[in-house]
Amino acid sequence: MILTFKINGEWVTQEIKPSLLLIDLIRDVLQLKGTKPGCLEGECGACSVIVNGDAINSCMYLAINVDGKEVTTIEGLENNENPLHQVQEKMLEHGAVQCGFCSPGMVMTTKAYSDKCIAEGITPTREEVKKSLEGNLCRCTGYAKIIDAAEAVYK
Amino acid sequence: MNFDVISPKTTPELLNAIYDNQSKNFRIGAGFTDLINQFKAQETEGLILINLAQLTEVDFKKISENEINFQIGALTTASELIDNKSIKENFPVLYQAANKLASTQIRNVATVGGNICNVSPSGDMTAALIALKATCHIIDCDGNERKELLSSFIRGLKKTSLTKKELIKNITIPKNFSKNIKSGYEKVGSRKSMEIAIVSLAYHLQMDDKGVITYAGVACGAVAPTIPFTTSACEFLTGKNINDISDSEKEEFAKRVLSYANPISDIRASDWYRKEVLFNISKTIFER
Amino acid sequence: MMKVIGKSHQKLDGKERVSGKAVYGHDIELPNMLHGSILRTKYPCAEIISIDTSKALSLDGVECIITANDVDVNNIGYKKDHPILKKGTVNCNRDEIAAVAARTKEIADKAIQLIEVEYKIKEGVYDPFEALKETTPRINEFGKGAEQFGNKNMAESFHYEHGNLEEQKAKSKVIIKKRYELPRVTHACIATSNITAEFNNFDGRLTLWSSTQVPFLYQRDIAHALKMEPSKIRVIQPIIGGGFGSKLDMHPFEPICALLAIKSGKPVQILYSREEEFIASPTRQPMVIELTTGCDENGKFTFREVEIIKDNGAYTSWGATTPFVMMQSYSSLYQVPACKFDSHAVYTNNPFAGSFRGYGNPQATFSIESNIDLMAEELGMSQAEIRLINANYKGEITGQGLHFKTCGAIPALKTVIEKSNYDKIMATPNTGRYRRGVGLGSMLHVGGGAKIYRSDGCGTTLKIDDYGYLTIVTGSNEIGQGSETVLAMIAMEELGIPKEKIKVINTDTDVKPWDVGVHASRTSFVAGNSLLGAIKLIKEKLSKKAIELLDVVTDDWEYANGMMRFNEFEIKLDKVVREMHFASPHELCMVNYFYEPPSKFQDKDFKGDVSGNYAFASQAIEVEVDTVTGNVRVLNVHVSQDVGRVLNPVGLQGQMEGGLATGIGYALTEEMIYEKGVLKNPSFHGYKMLTSTDMPDVHFYPIETYDEAGPYGSKGAGEAPLIPTAAAIANAVSNALGVRFYSLPITAEKVLRALASPTPPKEGLLREAKPVTKHQ
Repeated sequence: MILTFKINGEWVTQEIKPSLLLIDLIRDVLQLKGTKPGCLEGECGACSVIVNGDAINSCMYLAINVDGKEVTTIEGLENNENPLHQVQEKMLEHGAVQCGFCSPGMVMTTKAYSDKCIAEGITPTREEVKKSLEGNLCRCTGYAKIIDAAEAVYK
Repeated sequence: MNFDVISPKTTPELLNAIYDNQSKNFRIGAGFTDLINQFKAQETEGLILINLAQLTEVDFKKISENEINFQIGALTTASELIDNKSIKENFPVLYQAANKLASTQIRNVATVGGNICNVSPSGDMTAALIALKATCHIIDCDGNERKELLSSFIRGLKKTSLTKKELIKNITIPKNFSKNIKSGYEKVGSRKSMEIAIVSLAYHLQMDDKGVITYAGVACGAVAPTIPFTTSACEFLTGKNINDISDSEKEEFAKRVLSYANPISDIRASDWYRKEVLFNISKTIFER
Repeated sequence: MMKVIGKSHQKLDGKERVSGKAVYGHDIELPNMLHGSILRTKYPCAEIISIDTSKALSLDGVECIITANDVDVNNIGYKKDHPILKKGTVNCNRDEIAAVAARTKEIADKAIQLIEVEYKIKEGVYDPFEALKETTPRINEFGKGAEQFGNKNMAESFHYEHGNLEEQKAKSKVIIKKRYELPRVTHACIATSNITAEFNNFDGRLTLWSSTQVPFLYQRDIAHALKMEPSKIRVIQPIIGGGFGSKLDMHPFEPICALLAIKSGKPVQILYSREEEFIASPTRQPMVIELTTGCDENGKFTFREVEIIKDNGAYTSWGATTPFVMMQSYSSLYQVPACKFDSHAVYTNNPFAGSFRGYGNPQATFSIESNIDLMAEELGMSQAEIRLINANYKGEITGQGLHFKTCGAIPALKTVIEKSNYDKIMATPNTGRYRRGVGLGSMLHVGGGAKIYRSDGCGTTLKIDDYGYLTIVTGSNEIGQGSETVLAMIAMEELGIPKEKIKVINTDTDVKPWDVGVHASRTSFVAGNSLLGAIKLIKEKLSKKAIELLDVVTDDWEYANGMMRFNEFEIKLDKVVREMHFASPHELCMVNYFYEPPSKFQDKDFKGDVSGNYAFASQAIEVEVDTVTGNVRVLNVHVSQDVGRVLNPVGLQGQMEGGLATGIGYALTEEMIYEKGVLKNPSFHGYKMLTSTDMPDVHFYPIETYDEAGPYGSKGAGEAPLIPTAAAIANAVSNALGVRFYSLPITAEKVLRALASPTPPKEGLLREAKPVTKHQ
């Protein structure tokens, strides 16, 4: 099956087998290893990427369904002027990274949510920030610093 | 996983795909949040997946209203339901159920139709829709259409009335006839997020100006093979004033809800716990 | 005045981790690399009649398959009772029967399904008490229980005592005897277990990209397993996606991967699926603790007597040695005049238990702190007061010989009592649906390493290059906890070299000097002291050269901004190094240092000052119990910990919050549910770790006692935050409901059952404590 989609700002065309999962397309075919395989069953959020503005679990998403769409992975947040996105800067400032395996997923979820908040002109409460991260498990940090970092993004 | 995929863009393409594959092993999927895990656990060689994710037909996707109904396309995601102001305002039970489902990442792809057709006794949106007396609009690949009340559409554990030729196009919910509503979704689990309900209670009450209950829809999840609409509990409430329900009436209501429960014991909770909690939360819905 | 130490610093390689650039084991791809997959037993207890790999071998893409019959290996585990690949019998549900290497992971997984194994199913033994019975068959054929401990199914046994037990019992006004049950929980690292192995058949060298926490012990263990020379094994640690003790032992999949690489002649990688991670990675040791404690009429503690039966599982890993830590808490957490401790780890057909952050201490502390609350209640004394009058103090040498040269126990207790409004919440009557309560828990843990191996040391090599950049080659390991950052901070403080010019090299056993590994909250302490020792040497070297260059006599240099200064004399560090290098006698600016902590091996009675210093902490936790659902919600956590000195505040706070989250999960939601040796919840939706929405606010109050043994006075801190958490939560729930729980986790169902019936049912899901013996 031929798939044409935009990945981190660039259109690509790729032949894939129909049952390929998006995470495998990203990690194995495109060799973008920043997206992490935590559980491969939609429970931990480590593999979160952004498809047309929405954070999704790439382990539960068929690759063929990004056809014509725009996919952003953690690698897509980097540009020449700013090697790190504001969400990433805040995470480092607040000590939100320990082992870091959940971090790319945390970043992508927060990025999608913050984009949405900015677009709607909303400043979320701490409880709303916590809820926005409910699909991303972390075993190192106890979430507190990640929540602090995400909150700082909205200030 | 090694299945084949057909991705229809239009309704005729979709119906043709179903028609053409009648003799084959096919599954229909939209958000895949349950289906992919099922596929991983089984042999998928030779399986055909009819993928609804690329369907552009608005009838399957939009949320609209007319004089009597709200219509929700089967492919509406949980996130789209949450973001819809009319749903939040008119049917808090549905809004809350969608919002308590898994995580943002799952809600962004999980669809109403998928939640229904997965036929889980703990389906969050399904429980809310049953409390709202929702109706499924079903089409088949021969061009027929039919309507069926959701509570009868679900026939048993993992069973619906759908034939191999059919699928759900959309769901309708009768509009509220009153602005005075008490509506919510109680989901009991061991943590606040990422739960599959151990017990859930979906309730939607409509009252007249004086507070007299004129409509009661209460359904309970994860306590029986299917999600029951608790008719006798609802009848008990109808005609009573919401502001004036005595403790013994609350008990009676809870007992009637409980009479629909026939739970199993599993690793998450015993049948005893499920009944106990269902009874307890049923009593509390009047207090908030 | 410190410039760097005590101020928050970002994680040294944080940018790589947060940008997805850090390379974890899952991200490694070598040329021609194969993917391995392991066939595990279908039944937890069975005889293997036959194994037929022929169908799997004929599958296209399969390169090699190994079973026990194909390999010449030694048993593993510290008791050497664990075959890497099983033959004859399988003893638990993670048992490895065969392994496949294939061109893709998918093919390897498919090949595994094609291996035909014929079993004769046996009735297993899943209860350690059952296993101890005469009539029960022997579970582990390599176990030495009969010879060593008088019972064939005993895997390990510890006895400890101090003081005069009978005398202290006679003095006791109150005696409380209780039985506690602790569940099996697991680390649940977000990155699953992984290894990549490559064998060079020209020189017989094996390279392993492994997430081990203890690379040098691991090198030795792999060598023993594979009958190789340790020095031929190179262990490279990729970025590690979570440790928490899970990677303290070598597990069968690791030598298996090496064997596949040796046999196939190609690199092989094994990555666990999440399900496999739950089924086959180590767990915290479940146990039943029977604790009897007493106090006199004034509330002074008199004695502790404890008997522990641990479910060892089918093989012996580090879980069986947790009594080393547990007996410290029984003997020395608070002042304990007499103590008797017995612990037996018993073989069962359950999965074997390993080490897990806290190392037995959460279990011990749960029982101790619950009994303390009960004694206070019985005596009519405040739960805060009874703790304060018995608390450890500076200068105390405990019955076990632990010497508390500094001790923040009392300040920590006082702080959390005050900050949590403990007395007020305790006294507030509770009615209605939501009941609030508060509970206290304190802990004692090693803070300066723990001498459990012949050396508890760490080596450091330092190099300053011609351009003034510092490379720290340390034996210690980074598993996300932030040790690299602390080491860089120490170097910044001491040598005035900016962070951008510091590199920490710590991932390669061919390069780095020896260290015993990441465990026992030891890394900042041991590696920090090692680095300080090396810095002293390199400063001597720099000073000697600078004196020569500037023609000045001093050893009192100030190191700042890449310069060395003394009064009006100053010189750039890189210039000193270049002069050392390029001028006669031509030396490089490099030093080596090995630090061995002053701690001692305990004697045969387990007495002795085992750690360089000791950490103390107290937690006051406020909960709200929903009497409608039975759910317990943690509202606030007040934690005060004697950390000696705060090195990196943001890193320390992260250790606190992370530890607490695991501790709260242990108290309330996490449990591996087994039915006859089979795990029923091997997934993140079945195994309930806390999510972001469950995390309470954490209020942290560090206590600085400046212990001279630690770098800048610091103590180990990493394990402590989860140790007293379950105890404090259980005490808080008891305060909220007037009902006490003796088993973890305190699930909603247990709470509702306790509220529904005053006497809990004997059978079924609940197995509560035996009846209370009071007023003996």
